[in-house]
Amino acid sequence: MPVDSSTKTLLIVDDSKVSRMLIRTHILSQRPEWIISEAACGEDAIALVANDLPDFCTMDINMPGISGTEAAEHILANHPSVKIVIFSANIQETHQERARSLGTILVAKPVTEKSIALALDYFDNAQ
Amino acid sequence: MNSLNELQLDALTEVFSIGAGRAALSLSEIVGDEVRISVPSVQVISSNDISSTTLSLNSGRFGAVSQNFSGPFNAEALLLFTEEQALKIVSDMMDSQMSLEELAEFEHEAMCELGNIILNACLSAMADILNFTLDSSLPNYTVASADDILMRLKKNTNQPYIMILHIDLAIENQRTAGNLVFLLSSASLTNLVTHIDQFLDPIS
Repeated sequence: MPVDSSTKTLLIVDDSKVSRMLIRTHILSQRPEWIISEAACGEDAIALVANDLPDFCTMDINMPGISGTEAAEHILANHPSVKIVIFSANIQETHQERARSLGTILVAKPVTEKSIALALDYFDNAQ
Repeated sequence: MNSLNELQLDALTEVFSIGAGRAALSLSEIVGDEVRISVPSVQVISSNDISSTTLSLNSGRFGAVSQNFSGPFNAEALLLFTEEQALKIVSDMMDSQMSLEELAEFEHEAMCELGNIILNACLSAMADILNFTLDSSLPNYTVASADDILMRLKKNTNQPYIMILHIDLAIENQRTAGNLVFLLSSASLTNLVTHIDQFLDPIS
């Protein structure tokens, strides 16, 4: 099937299934044509990205195994074209700075229409 | 009331992780350094099944901050740390140059404040995400033995369900572990589960 140029691919990385379901539902309500894949930890995300490069990625920070920030750093070092939004409940300045230094943005959880709008805005402008 | 399913527990863990993130932000403003709080797991069990192992209540004395919450469901919440850990946290929150005797003077006040921050952050995250309003009483701090705490939890026949959150707290890279315990009546647990299901319904 030919893929329309507006069709984007998004990888959702979060150890919480509920959180992945929330992000997926909110994104698809705004961008129904997007193709979404999921990973439950940073290591799986790195492997998935190497296999099938997504346009965008949402990344949780606190996960079993490596942290989301480490995974984002690894992904961006090897695949700088991927645009990553870090979704986290931990919004202390040190995390915000770390996100900025990686060339990503940090969006505060909970996942809501408003936080998803911030992520989509970043993805749209990053293209 | 059967126990919660995997998805319901996942939703609660996510809600409390968001609460922990909010509490960490407030605490970091108090201590002027990074604070990490994570909630690795949430369990709901019958109070008959509670033991010292469930709560890692080994021996010694424990600092317990308690607060009552009321709304669509009522709960008594208890935040538990060993007294030694409680004093360490107080020392991080206050001027760390203080002697142990001086710190003990502030223990009550500082632990009430810590409890107030963590409990309200968790409950407000729950209220925001699951869409209800909860009111809270003032926090109260007591120091008790492991046996006293277990007895109190087991004897509370009006609230036969216990929701346990294991909490990891790191202030200035000093790690402490504690537990946040909610005592729930059967009706309160049912109401809580109804709200979780209403939250999950549109995304399932």
